[in-house]
Amino acid sequence: MAFLEVEGLGRDFPGVRALHDVDLKLELGRVHILAGENGAGKSTLVKLVTGAYAPSRGRILIDGQDVASNPGLHRYVAYVPQELNLFPNISVAENLFLPYDRKKLGGLTVNRGKLERAAQEYLDRYAITASPRDLVRDVSVPDRQLLQIARASTNKDMKVLFLDEPTSSLTSAEIERVMNVVRGFRDSGHAIVFISHKIEEVLAIGDDYTVLRNGQKVADGLISEIDEQGLIRAMSGAEIAIDQRFRPDPRPEGAPEEVILSADGLTGTGFEDVSFELKRGEILGFAGLLGAGRSELMQTIFGYMKAMSGSVTLKGKPFPLGQTSRSVKAGLLYLSEERKQHGILPQLSVRENVGISILDQITGKLGISRRQERNRVAEVIKAYDIKVAGMSQQISNLSGGNQQKVIIGRSMATAPTVLIFDEPTKGIDVRTKAEIYRIMKRLAEEGVGIILVSSEMEELRRCANRIIAMYSGRVTGTFDTATTSNETLVGALFGSETNTDAA
Amino acid sequence: MQRKNRLGFLKNQMMGVLIALTVIFVISAIVSPYFLTSYNMTVVARSLAFVGLITIGQSMLMILGELDLSLGVMAGLCGVVSGILMVNFGLNPWLAMFLSLCLGAALGFFNGIMVTTLGLHSLVLTIGTAGIFGGANLVLTKGVAITNIPKEVQFLGRGDFLGMPVPFVIMIVVLAIASWVILKTPFGRYIYAIGDNTQAARMLGIKVDRVRALVFTAAGTLAALAGLLMVTRLGTAQPSIGETWVLPPIAASVIGGVATTGGIGTPFGAILGASIIAVIENIIVLFGVSPYWQGVVSGFIVVLAISFDSISRRYLRGNG
Repeated sequence: MAFLEVEGLGRDFPGVRALHDVDLKLELGRVHILAGENGAGKSTLVKLVTGAYAPSRGRILIDGQDVASNPGLHRYVAYVPQELNLFPNISVAENLFLPYDRKKLGGLTVNRGKLERAAQEYLDRYAITASPRDLVRDVSVPDRQLLQIARASTNKDMKVLFLDEPTSSLTSAEIERVMNVVRGFRDSGHAIVFISHKIEEVLAIGDDYTVLRNGQKVADGLISEIDEQGLIRAMSGAEIAIDQRFRPDPRPEGAPEEVILSADGLTGTGFEDVSFELKRGEILGFAGLLGAGRSELMQTIFGYMKAMSGSVTLKGKPFPLGQTSRSVKAGLLYLSEERKQHGILPQLSVRENVGISILDQITGKLGISRRQERNRVAEVIKAYDIKVAGMSQQISNLSGGNQQKVIIGRSMATAPTVLIFDEPTKGIDVRTKAEIYRIMKRLAEEGVGIILVSSEMEELRRCANRIIAMYSGRVTGTFDTATTSNETLVGALFGSETNTDAA
Repeated sequence: MQRKNRLGFLKNQMMGVLIALTVIFVISAIVSPYFLTSYNMTVVARSLAFVGLITIGQSMLMILGELDLSLGVMAGLCGVVSGILMVNFGLNPWLAMFLSLCLGAALGFFNGIMVTTLGLHSLVLTIGTAGIFGGANLVLTKGVAITNIPKEVQFLGRGDFLGMPVPFVIMIVVLAIASWVILKTPFGRYIYAIGDNTQAARMLGIKVDRVRALVFTAAGTLAALAGLLMVTRLGTAQPSIGETWVLPPIAASVIGGVATTGGIGTPFGAILGASIIAVIENIIVLFGVSPYWQGVVSGFIVVLAISFDSISRRYLRGNG
């Protein structure tokens, strides 16, 4: 008998049917994989089951009882969202227990000592190294991720735990910590629902799976009876070659080598003395652990952060740093890893989000031409296959993958000379990933300089011609992807400066 | 079918304000025979004009995610300075008014530059600068009004144009220009982008600080204009001009759909909000409500209006 059962569940939004009659059975002591592309309806399903949305159709049974007649049943279900949503300026212990259960943690006032002792138990259980007194903003990203799970588990009634991409911003060693915690929950008789775009991870941890596509359940069964290719086929409804390479073809013999962008002895917050050259026609990868200083380096080149010393040349000419407006004007664009924080204008429409980048192209004597703007935006939506209900749809209502395509699309519309992609496929499904790789390859071959910052070694190997490894703010090697082994690369990520090819 | 987007949202928002304005208007017309008389309409339009000019500037600042609490006293200071230049220094009144407008621009720019270069919170900063400007006003006037403003400029405050008070016509022209700027120019889009997500705006290469400083400057100029018009209306430069122009423009903007958090709304909506307040204040006077009760009644109606708006929006969104 399944602990949580979903029957014929559906939810409509104005103009969109987000979820059609979906069935789902969750059993205690098992890990259930919920798979699907961006916008397939995973988040909607989760929000219905956790009670954040009311269903339009169907019912949810928890422990055999209908949730509609007993909303208190939602207490058995906990949800850890993809984005970290802790309170950064208060302590770890307070974050764990907000809003404080009066009975256990003292009366009217919060008993600090008691709170911190109780917190320490949870920290130990999940091998979180932070102290209960640390402010969350000072805690490392993997610890924060585990802290969110710990917070969910302070609910003693919790039987079902939804984890939405808990590993998307972690590196492999850190992912293993999360996996151990998941196994712990499974063995203690909880049902886990695990959402992830990382197929290997899913195959390793899952017991059962359900695949959603366009809001419908298209497949379910046992993980042991499906393979990588089968899962991808179910999610995308198409064959996608997962080991396909997207490296731009090398320059023809004898063609002159042209350096588009070069950095010389660049030093800034989080990195030191970085020099490199980006050549025409190549994708240059930047590998490193979290905190290696790659994003800071790129944001400094882009002018978003201040440089302390060193210089940059763009197309052979010295390029003054420190102003994003100048970079954008020169066609040097940076697509941030933080889509929400640095990318989208959340309350504005898709039209305005694309239009903002091409205003100079669509503004005449009488101001912005609505007609021209609509035409250009329609072109971008078509060219990048962005799934929208209409261009006046608010961008926050698009799935992450489609938001990313809007951001890429609007950047392309400006005819850039250098594009810096910072983790462009974070939280993005396999098919959209391949589309983004294809776009990068095409642009590189057209002569746009492409820099790819990624934490996924596989991604760098598939796309980059050369890979620069960074470790705690310094370059530890430049490698030709085709002739370098994984071991050498991984070694460089952890700081060993060996086998460096001449750049 | 309701679409969830800003334009649709704005339309809903605008509809709500329009309906509220119409309802209040109709009720006023029914309960008071004087309300619709052309004399009374002129009174309403004229009082709307002054607060309206401040509201246009304040609403643009609010869309940008900022606030300037010194606009009211700025209007007063610029008003008395124009009076001093005209009367005490015998300057050509047009030149004096031009210089006062420049003063308003400079004071607005000062607020803007303090916010952008020192990263100060505009709300707190402008509480401080409001004290400075208000104090300067008293130092210059010692609290005494400057009389004998030249007749040749008084038509600006007192005259009619096409049957409408001149200040009202000026306000409408300014509103048209502001609406064009904010809806049809790249600069306007930048204001929305910055108000919605400052970091993303900077990533897009928008000169965030320049846009901010310019909008503060524009708001300061409009405040000076309101102050000048009031001086020509009264025929005297009263030090107290602008004292009551601080909070109503903010309330008007919120009633008219401008989000206090930035990124949403239009100056047009804000003027609709200001119209609601102007009509309410007028009907209270027509009813002969005791002056002691006027604040209570008008405040109560404003609270009622925004509650109605918030509830209707939640209903329209229909989430959850």
